[in-house]
Amino acid sequence: MRISSIPGLPPLLACAGLLAVWEIAARFFDISGLPPAHAALRELPGILTDKESLLNILDSIRRMLIGFTLALVVAVPVGLMMGRSRLVAAFFNPLLMIIYPVPKAALMPIIMLWLGVGDASKTLVIFLGVSLPVVYHAYQGARAVEEKMLWSAAAMGLGPAARLMRITLPAALPEIMVGIRTGLVIALITMVTSEMIARKQGVGDLLFNALAMAEYNTVYATIIIIGMLGFVIDALFEALRFRVVAWAEPTHEIAVGST
Amino acid sequence: MIARRTAEIALGILPIALILALWQGVVLSGTAPAVLLPAPGAVFERLIQQFGNPQYWDAFATTLFRLFAGFAIAVVLGVPLGLAATGSRTVEALIKPVVRVLAPLPKVALYPAMILILGFDHASKITLVTADALFPILLATYQGTSAVEPKLVWSARAAGTSQRAALFKVVLMAAMPSVLTGCRIGLIISCIVVFLAEMITSSDGLGYWLVRAGRNFQTVDMYVPLISISILGLTLNAAFNMLRGYLLRGFPEER
Repeated sequence: MRISSIPGLPPLLACAGLLAVWEIAARFFDISGLPPAHAALRELPGILTDKESLLNILDSIRRMLIGFTLALVVAVPVGLMMGRSRLVAAFFNPLLMIIYPVPKAALMPIIMLWLGVGDASKTLVIFLGVSLPVVYHAYQGARAVEEKMLWSAAAMGLGPAARLMRITLPAALPEIMVGIRTGLVIALITMVTSEMIARKQGVGDLLFNALAMAEYNTVYATIIIIGMLGFVIDALFEALRFRVVAWAEPTHEIAVGST
Repeated sequence: MIARRTAEIALGILPIALILALWQGVVLSGTAPAVLLPAPGAVFERLIQQFGNPQYWDAFATTLFRLFAGFAIAVVLGVPLGLAATGSRTVEALIKPVVRVLAPLPKVALYPAMILILGFDHASKITLVTADALFPILLATYQGTSAVEPKLVWSARAAGTSQRAALFKVVLMAAMPSVLTGCRIGLIISCIVVFLAEMITSSDGLGYWLVRAGRNFQTVDMYVPLISISILGLTLNAAFNMLRGYLLRGFPEER
């Protein structure tokens, strides 16, 4: 049995390797802006047991989940309808093309003028950021659905709404999952960025407060926490995706898994 | 067919026109004070006015420089790494777990560390752009090249091509559509990230213009950089599609 075939071990080894590189670099360059890895790791338990920072972290996660869920509820149906109807697609496409390259977190200052620096504006920004990739992939997925399946369903008496839910949605699910995975990463990015711009509470605020107070060990410890958050969310989602759409796993990903 | 195309374009303009009309309507109705929501006409007038302002172009050029520098480094690193991961088992075993750990990490979180190490100037922002654009390019290259038909490589090897030459001349070329898709995602991400980096800490560039206008409550000026970045993204995307069309002229199925 090869070492790399034990599940979970390679990422752990990679973490250890990255930390080692960091430790060596910190000792080699010896600048105050880059404390050694062990100093940052030592801060971790302190942050994770401190009530206030814990509340900040939970706050961020809560906002992210709300924004993310809202985005799914809106974006998946819109994307599916775009994929099944040329009219709907023609209606939304140019608008989406214009919005796509705008950094959603950059809307923060303007949205803040309207909704304040609280939850509403941050959740809205996360919602916008997640919606676009999900719409795009749901659209691509719905467009590629086998027409014959839809015809058969129509011949058996399924109405348009039922066809969308029972044929198009499952058939487009693997593609939608790709969009959701991108959306998750974006949700995390927008969450952190929005808190960096509207500094009130949350992980991003924690990070920049530590930076402003020159507590460099805390800065790096917070970065590690955000990194772990990203990794855990990604791993959980991959597990879910594997359960839901294992039947449609593209061949090259199986090949990747088996090497 | 042409009539249908025009109808679709008209339909696509409709929601944009509706939003503009709604915007104008809210302004005219007076429910929103002009400080919070300037009229669309005023915003576009300001944008045109800024086109004649050399300082605006300076900011634009700064942003563009950071964007392209970061993106170029990401391509130069990402494509060979992805290719190497396909070409060698050892590299693959090294790169895959590292990517698995680093790819889902929001790179903006690393930005404070980059500021501490590289300072507030170009270097930290370019590094952030590279960090964000690298992974989509690397992953797309890796997946594209590892999905290349092995028969292509066997034929090339049988015809006397060396292992390394086959990797570059056959595998990379056959995976070009996938590589370019990764590059396009990377380009749009670069566009977004450079703007964010400039918003968080900066003294120049388009992102800084937005923050500065926000601090001074010059709402009209806040919309100008946003529209600029949207136009920039659209232009880059269109230019990239043209380049893609040229590079993929040997792939009829990719258009």
